[in-house]
Amino acid sequence: MADAPASPAGGSHESGGDQSPRSNVREQDRYLPIANISRIMKKALPANGKIAKDAKDTVQECVSEFISFITSEASDKCQKEKRKTINGDDLLWAMATLGFEDYIDPLKAYLTRYRELEGDTKGSARSGDGSSKKDAVGAQLGPNAQFAHQGSFTQGMNYVNYQV
Amino acid sequence: MRQARTHSRIVSGSGGGGGMSGRSGPHSLPLARIKKIMKKSSDDVKMISGEAPIVFSKACELFIEELTRRSWIMTVQGKRRTLHKEDVAAAVVATDNFDFLVNLVSDSAKSKVNPEIMET
Repeated sequence: MADAPASPAGGSHESGGDQSPRSNVREQDRYLPIANISRIMKKALPANGKIAKDAKDTVQECVSEFISFITSEASDKCQKEKRKTINGDDLLWAMATLGFEDYIDPLKAYLTRYRELEGDTKGSARSGDGSSKKDAVGAQLGPNAQFAHQGSFTQGMNYVNYQV
Repeated sequence: MRQARTHSRIVSGSGGGGGMSGRSGPHSLPLARIKKIMKKSSDDVKMISGEAPIVFSKACELFIEELTRRSWIMTVQGKRRTLHKEDVAAAVVATDNFDFLVNLVSDSAKSKVNPEIMET
């Protein structure tokens, strides 16, 4: 949804401009953007290495296949365990099962770092929001309102503490 | 910041407009797109946790890097400097855990980028 504006441009590049806009939209759903894939590929090559367009297209297809392959395995596991939501651990399990155990350690490190970052921004945003709101409303409405808001502010603090 | 060449315009367009890759955030691939591809992989996939696409954004990066490095070995063995589709196909055939891609690379070697062939 967030990347909708980029769709027409990326699509015409991927398909070589031969296809109708409608099939471009569908191709957008099927593949990751070729520019991102190209950038990651270049990182893996020496500086003098070049990449042909047909190679980028092939890797683009392979990545979608990789996502489907891992997701299907994780989905089967969820079904067997009667769970409806595929989570990150299911994917890690599926990757380990399907021969990508080398990815597990870097992925765990990545997730840990992400959770720390996410926890920080969420926590500070919430407590920051709460206190500024309280101040503004309290100043306008007088002591009673301020008291009421102090209550909710404390609840907010509890929530933040609980999260940490 | 308009650029005359079509290619560079498209690259900057999908990079900046993507919302994910444009900013300096931690994910190098668009999460919404990853989620769409996950949902397409099977009718049984109904709900996906928020962390799942994040795991994939990094996993796909690792996957692309590994596939590219292995393909480049094929390019170098052929005494070339440009990585081609055939190198990717050769790397897939030579690597055990890329077995699931064998049909895809042999299909796309025959008929170029036909999405209808992609079945799971």
